[in-house]
Order: sequence, then structure tokens, then C-alpha cells
Amino acid sequence: MTKYVVKRLLLMIPTLVGVAVLVFFLMRVVPGDVVELRFAGESSFASKENLDKERARLGLDKPLWKQFVDWMGGIARLDFGVSMWTGAPIIEEIRLRFALSLQLAIMSTLIAVLLAIPLGVLAALKQDTWVDYAVRIFSIAGLATPSFWLGIVFILMLLIVFKWLPPMVYTPFWVNPVQNLAQLIWPALAVGYRYSAVAMRMTRSAMLEVLREDYIRTARAKGLWEKLILSRHALKNAMLPVLTVIALEFAFLMGGLVVTEQVFNLNGLGLLFVESVAHRDYTLTQALVLLVAAVFIFVNFLVELAYAWIDPRIKFR
Amino acid sequence: MSSVPRRIDDVAELGTDEARRSWLATVWEFSRRRPLGAIGGAIVLLNLIVAVGANVLAPYDPVATDYGAMLARPSAAHWLGTDAYGRDVLSRIVYGSRTAMLVGFSCAVLGATIGAVIGVGSAYFGGRVDLIVQRVMDIFLAFPLIILALAVVSILGTGIWNVILAITVPMIPRAALVSRSSALAIREMPYVDAARAAGFRHVRIILRHMLPNVMAPYLIMLTAYLGQAILLEASLSFLGLGVAEPTAAWGLMLRGAAVQFAESAPWMAIFPGLAISLAVFAFNLFGDSLRDALDPRLRTQ
Repeated sequence: MTKYVVKRLLLMIPTLVGVAVLVFFLMRVVPGDVVELRFAGESSFASKENLDKERARLGLDKPLWKQFVDWMGGIARLDFGVSMWTGAPIIEEIRLRFALSLQLAIMSTLIAVLLAIPLGVLAALKQDTWVDYAVRIFSIAGLATPSFWLGIVFILMLLIVFKWLPPMVYTPFWVNPVQNLAQLIWPALAVGYRYSAVAMRMTRSAMLEVLREDYIRTARAKGLWEKLILSRHALKNAMLPVLTVIALEFAFLMGGLVVTEQVFNLNGLGLLFVESVAHRDYTLTQALVLLVAAVFIFVNFLVELAYAWIDPRIKFR
Repeated sequence: MSSVPRRIDDVAELGTDEARRSWLATVWEFSRRRPLGAIGGAIVLLNLIVAVGANVLAPYDPVATDYGAMLARPSAAHWLGTDAYGRDVLSRIVYGSRTAMLVGFSCAVLGATIGAVIGVGSAYFGGRVDLIVQRVMDIFLAFPLIILALAVVSILGTGIWNVILAITVPMIPRAALVSRSSALAIREMPYVDAARAAGFRHVRIILRHMLPNVMAPYLIMLTAYLGQAILLEASLSFLGLGVAEPTAAWGLMLRGAAVQFAESAPWMAIFPGLAISLAVFAFNLFGDSLRDALDPRLRTQ
């Protein structure tokens, strides 16, 4: 068990190095650089020497391989460097946005789970009836609706019906929970509905599969109470794939809410990413991509561990 | 067996006739057993017709500005109102379906096909090739879809063909993963051994013997990606990183003025979003039923 965990953890390193190489070179292929962009407004300072001096200060004049090795060396010492655009330490830049993104991801996931599991089970139990059709249409509609548009519609409804706009400035939960929730519940609903669709479909199909198993028939044959069969025998076994889907979605929520954050004017990791790419802020973009990839790979790994832990038939290899 | 075919032509004709009848019968059977899927398919078809016939169906030129009718409410002249430049919203939605269908079909076909070839090839060769391909795919999979697409658009710049490429790239590893797992089982089939023993070249075995047998997962992926591609295009255009003005695209219509004037001119924000949702909804509905129909594990009952 320990050996397996260590082996899997070590195997993450080459994947992350691959991600690092990819994002490092992708960013340098993008036309323009941070120095050009920063001096773009002030043509009087944008002489060739000034640009070159600034590039030298940021280390952009060194050969590519040297820049890459320096960056990797820094990461090995857990030093991500400073943002090329603002000059602030990257850790600081990310820390400011991390709380918001994490809270939004947790709230969206909670909403998704609360919607998905009861409805998915209901649809499976009433397969091919109007209930099943209604739940499926509801979930497919969730998949089809862009969450950023749903966000616009929410804001519009609040504005027209209640003449009220959610607060536009982020307040941390521990400072003022009401203010905080009043702002974040709307994006969480818009995103949660969309992500519930995936989990709902998974719950339905997993339940359908489990309900056809022999042990369910045995449980029914021996006259077990139907509620007990469902909760103890069926749902428990159907939860594995559902957990996987939810965990992976959660990992994506951490960095992938680029557009929703834009609509709700939320200063989270997604917006930071878009800005860092727009500014050609190499160090910040690289750190963000690496962070999102690391979260994703790590959640993947946790899911695999959970699988082996919950289902004794799966062996650690 | 009274009408034994005499000539080779008869055989061919008999074949096509049979095929035609069974094709129609399949469609009929599908619609009868999966009404939701049939409704989805019908909407998809309608959408395609609108896209192809946009120049006939749209009441106005989608890029013609009319400063006399800016932000006009829906009326007999402009069924869905006009936008901040006085452009007819309905006409822009009709033309926008062209963009959406072009992006959707190109990305889905390219992404699923390239992914399937990589996945099947990786499974067929196995060993070290498989290992290396899988590691490379892992790296791409660790990027969220939108982030990879953003990176590609930043490199190539905006415009419809670059957007198609940007959306296709992140789809490839996902398609490869799915096709690989289906192909692993097929590789062990006796007919693949037989083909190899007959001395066929690898390319021929992969293209002629293995690819046709991953058709079911391929079609399922294709329909799923169609909807996803349309959504991604809308997101990228909304961020200003997709199709550029003045081209009519649904995501682009939701950008800028649509949000700014949302209170006074809500039709600008509502109708394009409905168009996106309806199109993706139809593709998903159809794809879902197709999966149920093709997945042998669910076919038993």
C-alpha cells in the first residue's frame, strides 16, 4: 500500500514536468512579450535600449534553456518567483484569489451533489416513465446551457424582479458571511446546475447497472425492505463512478471558471489566468497552469486511492 | 429464393435496395423507441437547414447597421429586436448558426477522428509506443479544456479557423483515451491476428480492421463533442478570443453591449443564449439516445 502510494506520487513528477515544458514553450511562442506590452502606452520610453534593459532585468535576455532551468530550480526550492507584470511575489498573487476560487468550487460542488444524487436515483427507479424523461431533460438542459449565460440571466432576473444587484466586491466569508454568500450563491448556482448534469447522468446509469445485479435480486427475493435495498445495497455500490465524476469536476472548477468569473466580476484564479496570458506575464501563467494541473493530477490520484479503499475487489498494483 | 440474381449488377442493386430499406427502417425504429432522441435529431436537422439557408431565411443583412433603430424592442419589423448598432438580432442568430455549425462539426469530426487514430494506433502497437503516447496524452489532459484553448488562441490569434484549431487540440487526447480503451479489446480479436498473419501493413490493419470496430464509441464521442465545441466557441467568443466582429456568432452577441444594456434591452442577452442552449440541447439529446442505442451493455433489456 505505502509502496503503491509512493510510486504513484513519484509518477506525477514526469507528468508535471511535461506540463511545465509545454506551458513554458507555449508562452514563448505567443507573439509579443511583457516588456513590449508595458511600454506600449508610453512611446517616449520605448526606445530599444530601455526595452532591452527591462528584458535583462526580468532575465528574458538569457537563452531559453537557461530560463527554463532557472525556473525549474526555483520551483524545486518552492520559489515561484515574482510576477513579471506587477512585480509582486507569485505566491501572494495566487493566495489573494485562491480563497475565492476554492469557496466557489466547494459551493458549486455542494449544489451539484444535492441536485444530482436524488434526481439521478429517482430517474433510475422510474426508468422510461415521464419522471425519468423530465429528469433527463432537466439534466441535458443543464449541460446545454452555458453557465456564463445562465449567470447573465440570473443577474437580469434579480435586477428586473427584485431591483437588487448582488454585491460586486468580494468579502471573505469570515468577515461577513451574509455579504459573502449574497455574492457567491448566484455564480455557484449557475455553475452547480451545469455540473450537476454530469453527476446526475452518472448516478442514473450507475444505479440502473447496479439494480440489475444478482445481489439486488437476492435481497428482494429474501423480502428485504425496498428502502434498505436501495440505500444499503444499490446506492452504496453506485456511488463509486459518481464520486469520480464529482471529484474530477471539482478539480476543473478550481481553474476552469474563466468565463463565469468574468460575468460576475469575480477576481478568482480564472480571471487571473486570462489576465496573465493577456499581459504575457510568463512567470504567473506558468505557475497558474502548473498549480491547476497539479490539483487535477492529485485529485485523480485521490480518486484512485478511494476506489481501492471503498471497493475491496480493486487491488493496488 | 425464387429470384436468384443472375448478373453481378442484380446483386449490387439488391444490396442497395436492401440497404436503403433497412436504413429507413432503422431511422423509424430509432424514432419510435427513443422519441427524445428523435426530437433532438429533428432540431439538429432544422438547425443545419437554417445554417445552410441563412441567406434566404434571415430577414436582414446580419452586419448592416441601422442607427435609426438602435436597441429597438422586438416588433413586427424586428422579431427579436435589434442590438446596440441597430443590427437585427434574429438575422444575427440565423447567421450565427452558420458559425456554430461550422465550428461544431469541424471540431467534432477533426477531434474525434484524430483522437481515434492516435488511440487505436497506440493500442495496436502497444508496448513502448503506447506508453509514450499515453504519457503525452496525460500531459494534455491535465490542462482544463478552456485553458488549453485559450493558449492556442493566444498563439494563433482570433478568427474562425484558429478557433476551430484551438477547440480541436484539447479534444484529441480525450478522444484518444476513449478509443484506446475500446481498441485494446479489439486488438486481441482473431481477425486482427489473421490480418497480421496475412502480412497486411500496419496502416491497413488499423484503418480497415480496427477503426471500423470502434465506430460506436466514435459516433458517441462525435455527437458529444458537437455540443461541447459549440459551447466552447461561445465561451471563447464571449471572452473576445473567438470569432471576431462583425461576424455573427452567438457567443459574440452576448459580449459587451448585451451585458451593458441587459436591463433596458434584455432581448440582446436572452435570445442568443437560448439559441446556444437549444442547439447544444438537441445535439446532447440525440447523442444520448444514440449512445443508449449503440451501447451493447444497455441493449439487453
